Amino acid sequence: MRLLSKGPEETKDIGFRLGRFLKGGDVVALYGELGSGKTTMVKGIANALGIEEREIVSASFTMIVEYSTTPPLFHIDLYRIEKDAELDEIGLQNYIGGEGISVIEWAEKAGRELPEDAIWVELKSVSETMREIIIEGIDEKDWDNL
Amino acid sequence: MLILGIDTSCDDTCASVVEDGVRIISNIVSNQTEIHKKYGGIVPELASRRHIEMIWPVVDEAVKVAVIKPEDLSAIAVCHGPGLIGSLLVGCSFAKAICYSKNIPLVTVNHLEGHIFSCFLDERGPEFPFLSLIVSGGHTCLYRVDGFGRYRELGRTRDDAAGEAYDKVSKLLGLGYPGGTVIDKLAHNGNPDAIDFPRPYLPESFDFSFSGLKTAVKLEVEKLRRCEDRGFSTSQPLNFLTSYVCDIAASFQASVVDVLVRKTEWAVKKERIKRVALSGGVSANSELRKRMKEMGDAIGVEIFIPSVSLCTDNAAMIAAAGYHHFNTGNIAGLDLNPQAYLPL
Repeated sequence: MRLLSKGPEETKDIGFRLGRFLKGGDVVALYGELGSGKTTMVKGIANALGIEEREIVSASFTMIVEYSTTPPLFHIDLYRIEKDAELDEIGLQNYIGGEGISVIEWAEKAGRELPEDAIWVELKSVSETMREIIIEGIDEKDWDNL
Repeated sequence: MLILGIDTSCDDTCASVVEDGVRIISNIVSNQTEIHKKYGGIVPELASRRHIEMIWPVVDEAVKVAVIKPEDLSAIAVCHGPGLIGSLLVGCSFAKAICYSKNIPLVTVNHLEGHIFSCFLDERGPEFPFLSLIVSGGHTCLYRVDGFGRYRELGRTRDDAAGEAYDKVSKLLGLGYPGGTVIDKLAHNGNPDAIDFPRPYLPESFDFSFSGLKTAVKLEVEKLRRCEDRGFSTSQPLNFLTSYVCDIAASFQASVVDVLVRKTEWAVKKERIKRVALSGGVSANSELRKRMKEMGDAIGVEIFIPSVSLCTDNAAMIAAAGYHHFNTGNIAGLDLNPQAYLPL
Protein backbone atom coordinates (compact mmCIF):
# COMPACT_ATOMS: atom_id res chain seq x y z
CA MET A 1 0.00 0.00 0.00
CA ARG A 2 1.54 3.32 -1.09
CA LEU A 3 0.68 6.59 0.59
CA LEU A 4 2.01 10.06 0.05
CA SER A 5 2.68 12.45 2.91
CA LYS A 6 3.14 16.13 2.20
CA GLY A 7 4.68 16.90 5.54
CA PRO A 8 5.17 15.89 9.19
CA GLU A 9 1.50 16.43 10.11
CA GLU A 10 0.36 14.02 7.41
CA THR A 11 3.01 11.50 8.45
CA LYS A 12 1.64 11.71 11.98
CA ASP A 13 -1.92 11.22 10.68
CA ILE A 14 -0.86 8.10 8.82
CA GLY A 15 0.83 6.90 12.00
CA PHE A 16 -2.35 7.59 13.94
CA ARG A 17 -4.40 5.50 11.53
CA LEU A 18 -1.87 2.72 11.81
CA GLY A 19 -1.91 2.99 15.58
CA ARG A 20 -5.68 2.47 15.66
CA PHE A 21 -5.05 -0.87 13.99
CA LEU A 22 -2.55 -2.21 16.43
CA LYS A 23 -3.06 -4.62 19.26
CA GLY A 24 -0.87 -6.33 21.85
CA GLY A 25 1.82 -8.51 20.27
CA ASP A 26 2.02 -6.50 17.05
CA VAL A 27 5.38 -5.42 15.69
CA VAL A 28 5.81 -2.45 13.37
CA ALA A 29 9.13 -2.35 11.53
CA LEU A 30 10.09 1.13 10.32
CA TYR A 31 12.61 1.63 7.55
CA GLY A 32 13.91 4.92 6.22
CA GLU A 33 16.96 7.15 6.14
CA LEU A 34 17.79 9.89 8.63
CA GLY A 35 15.10 12.54 8.41
CA SER A 36 12.55 10.41 6.55
CA GLY A 37 10.01 10.74 9.35
CA LYS A 38 10.27 7.49 11.31
CA THR A 39 10.00 9.12 14.75
CA THR A 40 7.28 11.43 13.42
CA MET A 41 5.33 8.34 12.46
CA VAL A 42 5.85 6.88 15.94
CA LYS A 43 4.35 10.08 17.38
CA GLY A 44 1.23 9.40 15.35
CA ILE A 45 1.07 5.74 16.38
CA ALA A 46 1.55 6.65 20.04
CA ASN A 47 -1.16 9.29 19.81
CA ALA A 48 -3.61 6.58 18.78
CA LEU A 49 -2.70 4.73 21.99
CA GLY A 50 -3.39 7.78 24.09
CA ILE A 51 0.18 9.08 24.42
CA GLU A 52 0.69 12.78 23.76
CA GLU A 53 2.99 13.31 20.80
CA ARG A 54 5.29 15.50 22.88
CA GLU A 55 6.09 12.46 25.04
CA ILE A 56 7.57 10.62 22.05
CA VAL A 57 11.09 11.78 21.26
CA SER A 58 13.95 10.12 19.45
CA ALA A 59 14.91 6.86 21.13
CA SER A 60 18.30 6.57 19.44
CA PHE A 61 20.21 6.86 22.68
CA THR A 62 18.09 4.85 25.08
CA MET A 63 17.26 2.34 22.38
CA ILE A 64 14.13 1.02 24.13
CA VAL A 65 11.56 3.30 25.72
CA GLU A 66 8.57 1.72 27.42
CA TYR A 67 5.20 3.38 27.90
CA SER A 68 2.70 1.86 30.29
CA THR A 69 -0.34 2.13 28.08
CA THR A 70 -2.74 -0.76 27.65
CA PRO A 71 -1.29 -2.60 25.86
CA PRO A 72 2.20 -1.25 26.60
CA LEU A 73 4.04 0.54 23.80
CA PHE A 74 7.71 -0.15 23.22
CA HIS A 75 9.45 2.47 21.14
CA ILE A 76 12.60 0.75 19.94
CA ASP A 77 15.39 2.42 17.99
CA LEU A 78 18.24 0.28 16.72
CA TYR A 79 20.30 3.11 15.19
CA ARG A 80 23.22 2.52 17.53
CA ILE A 81 23.29 -1.26 17.14
CA GLU A 82 26.45 -2.39 15.36
CA LYS A 83 26.45 -6.13 15.92
CA ASP A 84 23.79 -8.81 16.24
CA ALA A 85 25.07 -9.71 19.70
CA GLU A 86 24.01 -6.30 20.93
CA LEU A 87 20.39 -7.17 20.21
CA ASP A 88 20.74 -9.78 22.95
CA GLU A 89 22.36 -7.29 25.29
CA ILE A 90 19.46 -4.90 25.06
CA GLY A 91 17.02 -7.78 25.43
CA LEU A 92 15.15 -7.19 22.18
CA GLN A 93 13.56 -10.66 22.27
CA ASN A 94 11.83 -9.79 25.52
CA TYR A 95 9.78 -7.19 23.72
CA ILE A 96 9.03 -8.56 20.28
CA GLY A 97 5.86 -10.61 20.21
CA GLY A 98 5.21 -10.07 23.89
CA GLU A 99 2.09 -8.49 25.29
CA GLY A 100 2.99 -5.02 24.07
CA ILE A 101 3.14 -3.23 20.76
CA SER A 102 6.70 -2.86 19.49
CA VAL A 103 7.51 -0.11 17.03
CA ILE A 104 11.06 -0.49 15.78
CA GLU A 105 13.04 2.24 14.01
CA TRP A 106 16.05 1.11 11.90
CA ALA A 107 14.37 -2.28 11.81
CA GLU A 108 16.90 -3.59 9.28
CA LYS A 109 19.23 -4.02 12.24
CA ALA A 110 16.82 -6.44 13.88
CA GLY A 111 17.33 -8.88 11.05
CA ARG A 112 15.97 -12.31 11.83
CA GLU A 113 14.48 -11.20 15.14
CA LEU A 114 11.51 -9.69 13.34
CA PRO A 115 8.42 -11.92 13.24
CA GLU A 116 7.01 -12.86 9.86
CA ASP A 117 3.74 -11.10 10.54
CA ALA A 118 5.40 -7.79 11.36
CA ILE A 119 3.93 -4.74 9.67
CA TRP A 120 6.60 -3.20 7.42
CA VAL A 121 6.61 0.54 6.88
CA GLU A 122 9.11 2.18 4.58
CA LEU A 123 9.48 5.95 4.46
CA LYS A 124 11.19 7.49 1.44
CA SER A 125 12.04 11.15 0.94
CA VAL A 126 10.55 12.37 -2.31
CA SER A 127 11.33 16.02 -1.73
CA GLU A 128 12.29 18.21 1.19
CA THR A 129 8.88 17.78 2.82
CA MET A 130 7.19 14.99 0.87
CA ARG A 131 7.51 11.35 1.82
CA GLU A 132 6.34 8.21 0.11
CA ILE A 133 5.14 5.76 2.77
CA ILE A 134 4.84 2.10 1.83
CA ILE A 135 3.00 -0.13 4.28
CA GLU A 136 3.01 -3.91 3.99
CA GLY A 137 1.14 -6.28 6.22
CA ILE A 138 -2.14 -4.44 6.32
CA ASP A 139 -5.02 -5.11 3.99
CA GLU A 140 -5.83 -2.05 1.91
CA LYS A 141 -9.54 -2.72 2.41
CA ASP A 142 -9.13 -2.68 6.19
CA TRP A 143 -7.13 0.57 5.96
CA ASP A 144 -9.83 2.28 3.91
CA ASN A 145 -12.49 1.11 6.32
CA LEU A 146 -10.86 2.83 9.26
CA MET B 1 29.07 11.86 55.32
CA LEU B 2 30.09 9.52 52.51
CA ILE B 3 27.71 8.41 49.78
CA LEU B 4 28.51 5.84 47.09
CA GLY B 5 26.79 6.69 43.82
CA ILE B 6 26.12 4.12 41.09
CA ASP B 7 24.83 4.77 37.57
CA THR B 8 24.29 2.16 34.86
CA SER B 9 21.50 3.93 33.00
CA CYS B 10 23.06 3.98 29.55
CA ASP B 11 26.45 3.12 28.12
CA ASP B 12 28.85 3.61 30.98
CA THR B 13 29.13 1.82 34.30
CA CYS B 14 29.84 4.49 36.89
CA ALA B 15 30.59 4.53 40.59
CA SER B 16 31.75 7.35 42.80
CA VAL B 17 32.27 8.21 46.45
CA VAL B 18 31.32 11.76 47.38
CA GLU B 19 31.59 13.47 50.73
CA ASP B 20 28.80 15.75 51.97
CA GLY B 21 27.29 15.93 48.54
CA VAL B 22 30.07 18.13 47.15
CA ARG B 23 33.57 16.65 47.58
CA ILE B 24 34.52 13.94 45.09
CA ILE B 25 36.67 11.30 46.78
CA SER B 26 36.65 8.91 43.82
CA ASN B 27 34.98 8.98 40.41
CA ILE B 28 35.17 5.90 38.23
CA VAL B 29 33.65 5.47 34.78
CA SER B 30 33.95 2.22 32.84
CA ASN B 31 35.17 3.87 29.64
CA GLN B 32 38.30 5.06 31.42
CA THR B 33 41.33 3.27 30.02
CA GLU B 34 42.87 2.83 33.48
CA ILE B 35 40.01 0.54 34.43
CA HIS B 36 40.57 -1.58 31.40
CA LYS B 37 44.30 -1.77 31.81
CA LYS B 38 43.75 -3.00 35.34
CA TYR B 39 41.00 -5.50 34.72
CA GLY B 40 41.88 -6.54 31.22
CA GLY B 41 39.87 -6.38 28.04
CA ILE B 42 39.67 -3.66 25.47
CA VAL B 43 37.78 -0.42 25.88
CA PRO B 44 34.25 -1.36 24.93
CA GLU B 45 32.80 0.18 21.80
CA LEU B 46 29.80 2.40 22.09
CA ALA B 47 27.28 -0.34 21.70
CA SER B 48 28.75 -2.75 24.23
CA ARG B 49 27.23 -1.94 27.52
CA ARG B 50 28.84 -4.65 29.56
CA HIS B 51 27.44 -3.49 32.85
CA ILE B 52 27.29 -6.96 34.28
CA GLU B 53 31.02 -7.41 33.67
CA MET B 54 31.99 -3.91 34.75
CA ILE B 55 29.86 -3.23 37.80
CA TRP B 56 32.03 -5.11 40.27
CA PRO B 57 35.42 -3.76 39.07
CA VAL B 58 34.07 -0.22 38.82
CA VAL B 59 32.48 -0.15 42.28
CA ASP B 60 35.50 -1.92 43.74
CA GLU B 61 37.80 0.68 42.23
CA ALA B 62 35.63 3.53 43.50
CA VAL B 63 35.82 2.17 47.04
CA LYS B 64 39.58 1.39 46.80
CA VAL B 65 40.54 4.80 45.40
CA ALA B 66 38.44 6.44 48.13
CA VAL B 67 40.31 4.33 50.69
CA ILE B 68 37.15 3.46 52.56
CA LYS B 69 35.33 0.37 53.71
CA PRO B 70 31.67 -0.23 52.86
CA GLU B 71 30.91 0.33 56.55
CA ASP B 72 32.07 3.96 56.17
CA LEU B 73 29.20 4.72 53.80
CA SER B 74 26.10 6.51 55.07
CA ALA B 75 24.12 5.39 52.05
CA ILE B 76 24.29 4.09 48.51
CA ALA B 77 22.62 6.21 45.85
CA VAL B 78 21.66 4.42 42.65
CA CYS B 79 20.19 5.79 39.45
CA HIS B 80 16.87 4.02 38.92
CA GLY B 81 15.89 5.73 35.65
CA PRO B 82 15.32 6.86 33.05
CA GLY B 83 17.38 4.66 30.76
CA LEU B 84 17.69 1.24 29.25
CA ILE B 85 15.90 -1.10 31.63
CA GLY B 86 18.36 -3.99 31.27
CA SER B 87 21.24 -1.65 32.07
CA LEU B 88 19.48 0.04 34.99
CA LEU B 89 18.74 -3.36 36.48
CA VAL B 90 22.44 -4.12 36.85
CA GLY B 91 23.16 -1.04 38.94
CA CYS B 92 19.96 -1.33 40.96
CA SER B 93 20.37 -5.02 41.73
CA PHE B 94 23.98 -4.52 42.70
CA ALA B 95 23.15 -1.60 44.95
CA LYS B 96 20.29 -3.48 46.59
CA ALA B 97 22.55 -6.44 47.23
CA ILE B 98 25.25 -4.39 48.95
CA CYS B 99 22.69 -2.47 50.97
CA TYR B 100 21.03 -5.67 52.08
CA SER B 101 24.22 -7.45 53.02
CA LYS B 102 25.89 -4.49 54.72
CA ASN B 103 22.73 -2.97 56.14
CA ILE B 104 23.33 0.37 54.41
CA PRO B 105 20.41 2.64 53.49
CA LEU B 106 19.53 2.86 49.81
CA VAL B 107 18.41 5.98 48.00
CA THR B 108 17.32 6.34 44.39
CA VAL B 109 18.15 9.20 42.06
CA ASN B 110 16.67 10.14 38.72
CA HIS B 111 19.44 10.46 36.12
CA LEU B 112 18.24 13.95 35.19
CA GLU B 113 18.25 14.99 38.83
CA GLY B 114 21.86 13.81 38.91
CA HIS B 115 22.71 16.12 36.02
CA ILE B 116 21.03 19.03 37.83
CA PHE B 117 23.26 18.41 40.86
CA SER B 118 26.52 18.02 38.93
CA CYS B 119 27.11 21.77 39.25
CA PHE B 120 27.54 21.42 43.02
CA LEU B 121 30.49 19.11 42.77
CA ASP B 122 33.61 20.83 41.44
CA GLU B 123 33.29 24.18 43.04
CA ARG B 124 30.81 26.51 44.61
CA GLY B 125 27.39 25.63 43.28
CA PRO B 126 24.59 28.05 42.44
CA GLU B 127 22.13 29.31 45.01
CA PHE B 128 18.48 28.45 44.52
CA PRO B 129 16.61 29.19 42.39
CA PHE B 130 18.56 28.55 39.20
CA LEU B 131 17.89 27.30 35.69
CA SER B 132 19.38 23.97 34.71
CA LEU B 133 20.02 23.21 31.03
CA ILE B 134 20.75 19.52 30.51
CA VAL B 135 22.17 18.80 27.06
CA SER B 136 23.38 15.34 26.21
CA GLY B 137 23.01 12.57 23.65
CA GLY B 138 19.85 11.34 25.28
CA HIS B 139 18.38 14.53 26.75
CA THR B 140 17.90 18.18 26.03
CA CYS B 141 15.76 19.89 28.64
CA LEU B 142 15.49 23.02 30.67
CA TYR B 143 14.42 23.03 34.32
CA ARG B 144 13.75 25.67 36.90
CA VAL B 145 15.25 24.46 40.19
CA ASP B 146 13.81 26.07 43.32
CA GLY B 147 15.33 23.66 45.79
CA PHE B 148 16.10 20.02 46.27
CA GLY B 149 13.16 18.06 44.94
CA ARG B 150 11.57 21.19 43.49
CA TYR B 151 12.08 20.98 39.76
CA ARG B 152 9.82 22.44 37.12
CA GLU B 153 10.38 21.46 33.52
CA LEU B 154 10.26 24.54 31.32
CA GLY B 155 10.94 22.75 28.06
CA ARG B 156 12.48 19.75 26.42
CA THR B 157 13.29 18.46 22.97
CA ARG B 158 10.36 17.39 20.85
CA ASP B 159 12.50 15.05 18.81
CA ASP B 160 16.31 14.69 18.77
CA ALA B 161 18.52 15.64 21.67
CA ALA B 162 21.31 18.07 20.80
CA GLY B 163 24.03 15.49 21.43
CA GLU B 164 22.22 13.04 19.23
CA ALA B 165 22.07 15.63 16.44
CA TYR B 166 25.86 15.99 16.77
CA ASP B 167 26.34 12.23 16.50
CA LYS B 168 24.05 11.87 13.51
CA VAL B 169 25.60 14.83 11.68
CA SER B 170 29.01 13.39 12.37
CA LYS B 171 27.89 10.14 10.78
CA LEU B 172 26.46 12.01 7.78
CA LEU B 173 29.85 13.63 7.31
CA GLY B 174 31.54 10.25 7.47
CA LEU B 175 33.26 11.12 10.74
CA GLY B 176 33.69 9.16 13.93
CA TYR B 177 32.02 8.85 17.31
CA PRO B 178 31.49 10.65 19.59
CA GLY B 179 30.29 13.22 17.10
CA GLY B 180 30.42 16.12 19.52
CA THR B 181 34.19 16.01 19.98
CA VAL B 182 34.92 15.58 16.28
CA ILE B 183 32.58 18.35 15.15
CA ASP B 184 33.81 20.71 17.88
CA LYS B 185 37.38 20.24 16.61
CA LEU B 186 36.54 20.63 12.91
CA ALA B 187 34.35 23.64 13.58
CA HIS B 188 37.41 25.57 14.78
CA ASN B 189 38.69 25.45 11.21
CA GLY B 190 35.36 26.22 9.59
CA ASN B 191 33.27 29.26 8.88
CA PRO B 192 30.08 29.26 11.00
CA ASP B 193 28.40 31.65 8.56
CA ALA B 194 29.18 29.57 5.47
CA ILE B 195 25.79 27.83 5.45
CA ASP B 196 22.67 29.36 6.91
CA PHE B 197 21.22 26.28 8.59
CA PRO B 198 17.79 26.71 10.18
CA ARG B 199 17.67 27.79 13.79
CA PRO B 200 14.62 26.05 15.28
CA TYR B 201 13.89 28.63 17.96
CA LEU B 202 10.28 27.53 18.63
CA PRO B 203 9.60 30.92 20.20
CA GLU B 204 6.19 29.95 21.54
CA SER B 205 7.68 27.54 24.05
CA PHE B 206 10.90 26.51 25.78
CA ASP B 207 10.89 23.23 23.90
CA PHE B 208 13.69 22.37 21.51
CA SER B 209 13.76 20.59 18.17
CA PHE B 210 16.87 19.49 16.32
CA SER B 211 15.61 16.92 13.86
CA GLY B 212 14.86 19.55 11.19
CA LEU B 213 18.40 20.86 11.50
CA LYS B 214 19.76 17.33 11.14
CA THR B 215 17.71 16.91 7.95
CA ALA B 216 18.99 20.26 6.63
CA VAL B 217 22.57 19.11 7.13
CA LYS B 218 21.74 15.84 5.38
CA LEU B 219 20.41 17.76 2.36
CA GLU B 220 23.54 19.91 2.32
CA VAL B 221 25.78 16.86 2.44
CA GLU B 222 23.80 15.26 -0.40
CA LYS B 223 24.24 18.45 -2.42
CA LEU B 224 27.95 18.24 -1.77
CA ARG B 225 28.12 14.65 -2.91
CA ARG B 226 26.22 15.48 -6.10
CA CYS B 227 28.20 18.59 -6.93
CA GLU B 228 30.82 17.75 -9.52
CA ASP B 229 31.81 21.37 -10.12
CA ARG B 230 33.18 21.64 -6.62
CA GLY B 231 35.95 19.44 -7.79
CA PHE B 232 34.79 16.29 -6.00
CA SER B 233 33.87 13.23 -7.92
CA THR B 234 30.67 11.71 -6.61
CA SER B 235 32.44 8.51 -5.71
CA GLN B 236 34.97 10.24 -3.53
CA PRO B 237 34.17 9.99 0.16
CA LEU B 238 34.00 13.27 2.00
CA ASN B 239 37.51 14.13 3.05
CA PHE B 240 37.44 15.40 6.58
CA LEU B 241 40.27 17.74 5.78
CA THR B 242 38.35 19.64 3.16
CA SER B 243 37.39 23.08 4.26
CA TYR B 244 33.81 22.57 3.20
CA VAL B 245 33.31 19.81 5.72
CA CYS B 246 34.72 22.14 8.36
CA ASP B 247 32.28 24.80 7.22
CA ILE B 248 29.36 22.40 7.55
CA ALA B 249 30.55 21.43 11.04
CA ALA B 250 30.97 25.05 12.08
CA SER B 251 27.65 26.17 10.62
CA PHE B 252 25.78 23.26 12.17
CA GLN B 253 27.40 23.92 15.54
CA ALA B 254 26.59 27.63 15.29
CA SER B 255 22.93 26.78 14.78
CA VAL B 256 22.75 24.41 17.75
CA VAL B 257 24.62 26.76 20.06
CA ASP B 258 22.57 29.77 18.93
CA VAL B 259 19.35 27.98 19.81
CA LEU B 260 20.58 26.67 23.18
CA VAL B 261 22.01 30.02 24.26
CA ARG B 262 19.16 32.15 22.99
CA LYS B 263 16.45 30.02 24.57
CA THR B 264 18.30 29.94 27.86
CA GLU B 265 18.51 33.72 27.70
CA TRP B 266 14.75 33.96 27.09
CA ALA B 267 14.10 31.65 30.03
CA VAL B 268 16.36 33.74 32.26
CA LYS B 269 14.35 36.83 31.39
CA LYS B 270 10.96 35.17 31.72
CA GLU B 271 11.71 33.44 35.02
CA ARG B 272 13.75 36.39 36.29
CA ILE B 273 16.57 34.17 37.50
CA LYS B 274 20.20 35.19 37.62
CA ARG B 275 21.87 31.79 37.68
CA VAL B 276 22.16 29.11 35.00
CA ALA B 277 23.80 25.70 35.36
CA LEU B 278 24.81 23.62 32.37
CA SER B 279 25.23 19.85 32.40
CA GLY B 280 25.18 16.78 30.15
CA GLY B 281 27.76 15.67 27.59
CA VAL B 282 27.17 18.55 25.16
CA SER B 283 28.10 21.04 27.88
CA ALA B 284 31.67 19.85 27.32
CA ASN B 285 31.46 21.56 23.91
CA SER B 286 33.90 24.47 23.70
CA GLU B 287 31.65 26.72 21.62
CA LEU B 288 28.64 26.23 23.90
CA ARG B 289 30.69 26.96 26.99
CA LYS B 290 32.15 30.08 25.42
CA ARG B 291 28.85 31.45 24.13
CA MET B 292 26.98 30.72 27.37
CA LYS B 293 29.59 32.60 29.38
CA GLU B 294 29.42 35.49 26.90
CA MET B 295 25.66 35.59 27.27
CA GLY B 296 25.97 35.52 31.04
CA ASP B 297 28.47 38.38 31.02
CA ALA B 298 26.32 40.40 28.66
CA ILE B 299 23.13 40.22 30.73
CA GLY B 300 24.55 39.79 34.21
CA VAL B 301 23.80 36.11 34.77
CA GLU B 302 26.12 33.67 36.55
CA ILE B 303 26.85 30.60 34.45
CA PHE B 304 27.87 27.40 36.23
CA ILE B 305 29.56 24.80 34.07
CA PRO B 306 31.10 21.69 35.61
CA SER B 307 34.46 20.33 34.47
CA VAL B 308 34.33 18.19 31.35
CA SER B 309 34.48 14.89 33.26
CA LEU B 310 31.39 15.86 35.23
CA CYS B 311 29.43 16.90 32.15
CA THR B 312 29.28 13.39 30.74
CA ASP B 313 27.52 10.58 32.57
CA ASN B 314 29.05 9.86 35.96
CA ALA B 315 28.04 8.60 39.39
CA ALA B 316 29.42 11.54 41.36
CA MET B 317 26.34 13.52 40.38
CA ILE B 318 24.16 10.63 41.53
CA ALA B 319 25.93 10.63 44.89
CA ALA B 320 25.54 14.41 45.11
CA ALA B 321 21.80 14.27 44.63
CA GLY B 322 21.63 11.12 46.74
CA TYR B 323 23.12 13.03 49.66
CA HIS B 324 20.05 15.27 49.69
CA HIS B 325 17.66 12.35 49.38
CA PHE B 326 19.33 10.74 52.38
CA ASN B 327 19.26 13.92 54.43
CA THR B 328 15.56 14.40 53.82
CA GLY B 329 14.88 10.83 54.88
CA ASN B 330 13.93 9.75 51.39
CA ILE B 331 15.11 6.15 51.75
CA ALA B 332 14.18 3.54 49.15
CA GLY B 333 12.89 0.10 49.94
CA LEU B 334 14.85 -2.92 48.80
CA ASP B 335 11.91 -3.81 46.60
CA LEU B 336 12.69 -0.87 44.33
CA ASN B 337 12.46 -1.42 40.59
CA PRO B 338 14.14 0.71 37.97
CA GLN B 339 11.99 2.44 35.38
CA ALA B 340 12.90 2.98 31.77
CA TYR B 341 10.63 5.99 31.44
CA LEU B 342 10.91 8.25 34.47
CA PRO B 343 9.97 11.89 34.12
CA LEU B 344 11.49 14.19 36.71
